[in-house]
Amino acid sequence: MKFYTKFKKAKILFLAFLFIVSCSKDDPDAVNEQEFISNVLMTIESAEGTSQTVDWDLSEMNSQTISLKVNTDHNVGLRFINSSDPTDVEEVTLEIIDEADEHQVFFEFADVSVNVTSASNDTKVGSRGVLLNSVWNASSTGTGLVRVYLIHQPTNFNATTREGFGGYNDVSIDIPVSIVE
Amino acid sequence: MKHKSIHLYVILNCLLIWNLTYSQECNLFLKGKVTDFHDDSFLIGALIQIEGTNFFSQTNLNGEFEIEGICPGRYILNISHPNCKSKTKNINLKENKIFDLKLEHHINELEEIIVSDSRLSRTRKSVQEVLVDISEINSYGSNTLVDALNYIPGASILKTGNSIGKPVIHGMYGSRVGIVTDGFRQYDQQWGPDHAPNVDFDSFETIQLIKGAAALKYGGDTSAGSIILSSKRKVLRDTLFGTSFINLESNGWGGKFGSRIEKNYSNGFYINGNFTGKRYGDFNTPNYILSNTGFKEVDFSIKLGKDLVSKGWNLKYSNYNLEPGILKASHIGNVQDLFFALNSSEPSIIDDFTYNVGAPNQRASHQRLTFKYFRSFKNDVKLDFGYSYQNNKRKEFDIRRGGRTNIPVVDLLLKTHNLMLGFSNIKMENWDFEFGYNGLIQDNFSTPDTGVKRLIPDYIKFENGIYILGSYQESNSFLWEWGLRLDHVFYDAKKYYYKSVWEERNYDVLFNQFETGTDFANQILVNPKFNYLNVSAQTGISKKISDNSEFNISYILSQRAPNPSELFSDGLHHAMAAIEYGNLSINPETSHKFLLSLSKTKPNYNWSLEPFISKTFNYIFIEPTGLKQTIRGAFPVWTYKSTDAFLTGIDLNYSQSIIENLRFDIGASYVYAQDILNSEPLILIPPLNSFQKLKFSPKKSKWTFEISNHISAKQNRFPDSNFIFDYIEDGTIVSKTVDISESPSGFHRLDAIFSLQIRNQKNLTTNLRLIAQNILNSEYRDYLNRMRYYSSELGRNLQIQLNFNY
Repeated sequence: MKFYTKFKKAKILFLAFLFIVSCSKDDPDAVNEQEFISNVLMTIESAEGTSQTVDWDLSEMNSQTISLKVNTDHNVGLRFINSSDPTDVEEVTLEIIDEADEHQVFFEFADVSVNVTSASNDTKVGSRGVLLNSVWNASSTGTGLVRVYLIHQPTNFNATTREGFGGYNDVSIDIPVSIVE
Repeated sequence: MKHKSIHLYVILNCLLIWNLTYSQECNLFLKGKVTDFHDDSFLIGALIQIEGTNFFSQTNLNGEFEIEGICPGRYILNISHPNCKSKTKNINLKENKIFDLKLEHHINELEEIIVSDSRLSRTRKSVQEVLVDISEINSYGSNTLVDALNYIPGASILKTGNSIGKPVIHGMYGSRVGIVTDGFRQYDQQWGPDHAPNVDFDSFETIQLIKGAAALKYGGDTSAGSIILSSKRKVLRDTLFGTSFINLESNGWGGKFGSRIEKNYSNGFYINGNFTGKRYGDFNTPNYILSNTGFKEVDFSIKLGKDLVSKGWNLKYSNYNLEPGILKASHIGNVQDLFFALNSSEPSIIDDFTYNVGAPNQRASHQRLTFKYFRSFKNDVKLDFGYSYQNNKRKEFDIRRGGRTNIPVVDLLLKTHNLMLGFSNIKMENWDFEFGYNGLIQDNFSTPDTGVKRLIPDYIKFENGIYILGSYQESNSFLWEWGLRLDHVFYDAKKYYYKSVWEERNYDVLFNQFETGTDFANQILVNPKFNYLNVSAQTGISKKISDNSEFNISYILSQRAPNPSELFSDGLHHAMAAIEYGNLSINPETSHKFLLSLSKTKPNYNWSLEPFISKTFNYIFIEPTGLKQTIRGAFPVWTYKSTDAFLTGIDLNYSQSIIENLRFDIGASYVYAQDILNSEPLILIPPLNSFQKLKFSPKKSKWTFEISNHISAKQNRFPDSNFIFDYIEDGTIVSKTVDISESPSGFHRLDAIFSLQIRNQKNLTTNLRLIAQNILNSEYRDYLNRMRYYSSELGRNLQIQLNFNY
């Protein structure tokens, strides 16, 4: 008898389990991705006063060509933007400046030869320029591309190849470059 | 009642009285104990009868029996127990006799593994299974599961580094391998290859490995097989005992400590507690330190219950916490970084040894509460009822920008309620039946606070399953068994998709009914609901060819509903530099498997041969489907798809005593796996591997010495998942191949174990073990280690292990 009542209890539990209302979940909150970079914005101003803006957009993927004049200094400004939520556009560049000690911008050129130095208004860690603002000078004409890297936690800040830097890429995009007389 | 013997004089008749009065010589007695053949525990309620007389006795709580007043003469004793094979014994009684008897459990018993919560028997007789004692596993060293499975042909380990390991059976892992603890399926986020099962193996006493989905009682979806962890049966007497171990290791400069204490009472009540703690720093390969690979683990459990032969209950709470670090160099940004890693002989980051672990790392905790009740009725039918609640938290940390490294990138809470009800031991002549029900409600919550797109969405899952198992046995030499199971699986998920992805994959047409109309910026909220009805079945025969050889053949049908990762995955997998996408169009997979086993056991040698062959329709797998340009560069996209897969393989085992004190063991296994539709091999299939073991155990001395060698061939069958990317070298663009497919070369690893028993006191036995792993300090990479792109396997490791039993 004692067992029977126990068994009945088990049965009730069992039935209760079966009939637990199949409630649906509440709508989850959408995640607005942090750290995300949707646009890379480059402004190229030549010493002669011409200026160009190149906006690399994740959704469009097409990018304009950077036009440089040979043997002329160009001030190149670099901005990283998260506009995945159009109502809340974030300037990611500020985070990079805050964490300048563990970031490095690196420009790697293919088929063109461009000399890059840190600009006077660049973000610096000691004597190292992060290259958010840089001066570009091309020594010969031609067309090619520049691969723009934002490297997080590089193991060597003074490398000349991407492999030499170590760390990992937060940004790695290709933009065509054209150098004219 | 000095002897507490239950003398059943109810039907004691005149004969005895007549005997007693008739002859003064009829005053002999028979006394003794009946114990379990396997674990020496006392058998209660065993009946000892003298054939042709009315003399009998039933064993008491201590397994003791006593028959008094017997005349001298030749008799036949019948010893029987409801759960055991009956035995007869001829005796010639001239004087009082005291002797002990051993009974063995029915070989035809269609019992599940756990009867009375702890008594072990085989899951299905017609399917070969491997049973290993945890204490034996411990003798191989500290990474218990990993090292233990190395000695079971057909089983291997899929690793992510050295602290995260997942069991692989017959070349399959994840959702295809079921892990059962305390009679319930383990539910953590088991879909991920880099998720270790959240179980403290040290807190259990035996591991059963079943190849194939034969454990229908727990589910029919684990086509590869199941691993069942359980405790041994309780002893019905007042005892207090415990075991403790301490293990110190040179590789990782750490160790583990564990303790277990158990108190039993003669009324069947018991309580036990268990604790395991592990702490390791950075491990090292023969030539460098694996930075950020240390880990810590803290587990405890407490269990109490009452266990009588015919009824019992227990309540258990367990808590598991693992915090492993992931090799720092494996955190990469894009395919170019992966390319550098593949072409470098060492990880890109090698720091000094430390116990500290930083990002990338994981934090997993698993809490479990189980309640079980069982009862045997008069006709031996047994009722089992159980409920379990599992709470699994999983956090993954990555190196992040803007001070967000302390915010996990993956933060999941998985809550699972399980209910089971079963009736077993229903006997009708030569037939034996069992049937039951399992129910599950699972709720997954993925917190939005991570600031990273959810890898696995919020969902609720309902599962209802019923099963019936039957067996027919004419004699001890032939058995036919079958089982059938039906499962209904229902998913109700809520997930945000990027509108671009939703449309690109044509979901806006195919799954228009899931759209909720809610959206957020460029994301849309959808509510996928899926229903699956799965059938699984097993049938097989077991035949004794001769006294020492056996033949089993079994066919298993299993169906598995896609898991949440296969349906919904959506995001970047850092260590693989891959974007992984689930697939809503995936159907359940159906697997047909034939298992054969032949075995022979002789005193000085034994062998077993176990081939299998299987075909899986709609085999769900992930494969590269293109490159996707992102702001971090190009990434290969991996998408879940289904194909038809053909797998076959063979496992063999041979053991021989060479001379009296020296035993040689060899095991080997091979799996061939082919994707039939795409005519290419399946990925991550263990290569041909073998172990050889030589054990010297001199008689009368308390030490043993064992040396073992593991050989793993190179896996020559792998699919081509390579991709090409543009690399800037010396100012020009060149195409480079990222070779992630190529398997590493074969290797062999030599281990040795010296074991010494020190018995210092009566109630305390101590075992000392000296273990050396990878003695030759050889450098090799393992195809089944996902960190093989970045680093080689562990170098030499010396261990000192002390075990105390008290």
